[in-house]
Amino acid sequence: MNFYLTYLLVATLLFAFTAIFALVALYAERKVSAFIQDRLGPMETGKFGLLQPFADILKMLHKEFIIPSAADKVLFTLAPIIIYVAVYMGFATLPWAPGVVPVSLNLGVFYIFAILSVETVGILMAGWGSNNKYALLGSMRSVAQIVSYEIPAGVSVIAAVMISQSLDLQEVSAEQGILAAHPIKFLGIWTVNHTGGILAWNIFQAPHLIVAFVIYFIASLAECNRAPFDIPEAESELVAGFHVEYSGIRFAFFFLAEYSMMFLVSMIAALLFLGGWNTPLPNIGPARLADWTTGTAWGICWIVMKAIILVGTQIWIRWTLPRLRVDQLMNLCWKILTPVAFACMLISGIWRLAVM
Amino acid sequence: MNPGELICYILAGVVVISALVVVLTANLVRSVFLFFVTLFALAGLYVFSLADFVAVTQVIVYVGGVLVLMLFAFMLSNKELLNSLRQPAAAKLSMLTNIPAGIVAAGVFTVLAISTKGLQLAAPSGMSLFPAGMLNAGDNTIHLLGVRLMTNYLLPFELASVFLLMALIGAAHLARKGKEST
Repeated sequence: MNFYLTYLLVATLLFAFTAIFALVALYAERKVSAFIQDRLGPMETGKFGLLQPFADILKMLHKEFIIPSAADKVLFTLAPIIIYVAVYMGFATLPWAPGVVPVSLNLGVFYIFAILSVETVGILMAGWGSNNKYALLGSMRSVAQIVSYEIPAGVSVIAAVMISQSLDLQEVSAEQGILAAHPIKFLGIWTVNHTGGILAWNIFQAPHLIVAFVIYFIASLAECNRAPFDIPEAESELVAGFHVEYSGIRFAFFFLAEYSMMFLVSMIAALLFLGGWNTPLPNIGPARLADWTTGTAWGICWIVMKAIILVGTQIWIRWTLPRLRVDQLMNLCWKILTPVAFACMLISGIWRLAVM
Repeated sequence: MNPGELICYILAGVVVISALVVVLTANLVRSVFLFFVTLFALAGLYVFSLADFVAVTQVIVYVGGVLVLMLFAFMLSNKELLNSLRQPAAAKLSMLTNIPAGIVAAGVFTVLAISTKGLQLAAPSGMSLFPAGMLNAGDNTIHLLGVRLMTNYLLPFELASVFLLMALIGAAHLARKGKEST
């Protein structure tokens, strides 16, 4: 029975983490946007507006559920839950530290991509169920975008997986540091099994993965429907896209799903390209920095820090770049990202055979 | 009955019931969304047959691909058109027009029943994926699948990829604007 209790506890912890992260990210988003636009952001609630996310959540909880009379009530109600659960289930195979992983699955990466594709069904459900033309247009744009950008994202992930030789994310991260079981080489020339640190990360083991990482990062922005790929939510033309009819806690679930998705894709990027839970500090002579900073608590710190830096970059990009047009979006995906991602995959294969 | 078995039976029940509702419901869009439940529960059943790779592929291909395509077709079509497509209330299984379909279905099920009667679940020796001929939960199935696809089953694998490439080129050709029509 303890077995099931542990599972329940882990699931609850992950849920609590996504909820708390969404609150923090909501505050960060407001503050970062304010600083980029030379404003102060929320300052009234609490010191520096620190209580703002709690005030927001209280407001959401108080609001009435409004279901439009012409909406499909079942689909309308289920959509936010399906979208959130799809993202939340993706967390199941993500490792947090050496030995700390909810499920160590052979198919880790593949599973995450499959479960995230369920999100598109949820978005279509929200768009159709709302019975509103803006919602429908938003959901169709969103799904067209997610389905297109899954291809460069998937191919660039395969490029990284070919270097690590495993789909299990726990193994992928173990292969990028001092705990690696196989010989790993910095830029394919210098064996760094005992040095570790930043030199052993995938992007430095095989430098073409830097390109793959950038492609994955751009594609993951599109999969989160974040600016500059926010035509599904385009406030100025579609009001708010697929979640225009939602209110109260259901609306909050869309936000929760969006911020959890941002953290999820950032964590996948960190795991596949940026060394996972491995420390960036290498062993230098007698200063065994990598040995000292590898462990359960350190692992959790590093992975969360890496993911938060990437989320910060996502927020920064959102408030810096203007929105892309639909044709520019598709051009970028099919004519630039996809061919370059395929080239990365090809180089990965050659690298694996010739260099490693 | 242990919890695993219980979950397996629940999944099987969900598959059958949701598939029935998909066929019998009058609201076409809802039936497509319910199809999602059927496919997902079916993926769960694959996991119980220790075919985890097939289960994940099922979700990625059918839910992420086919189902979204079907939904797109619905959303791009007119809502009045969808309403007129609803089955008339008088439609019943025993109608005369359903007899040919019934005969085909009965034929398929007969073939299935006959072909699975003497079926042994273990593959013949030499063809088996696993050295001992047995598959355990937690085996690295994807590694063995990859090795087999590149050795014993290379020809079917390559044929399938050439077919897919042909379909892709055909689709790109159809979608392209003709020179004279621009």
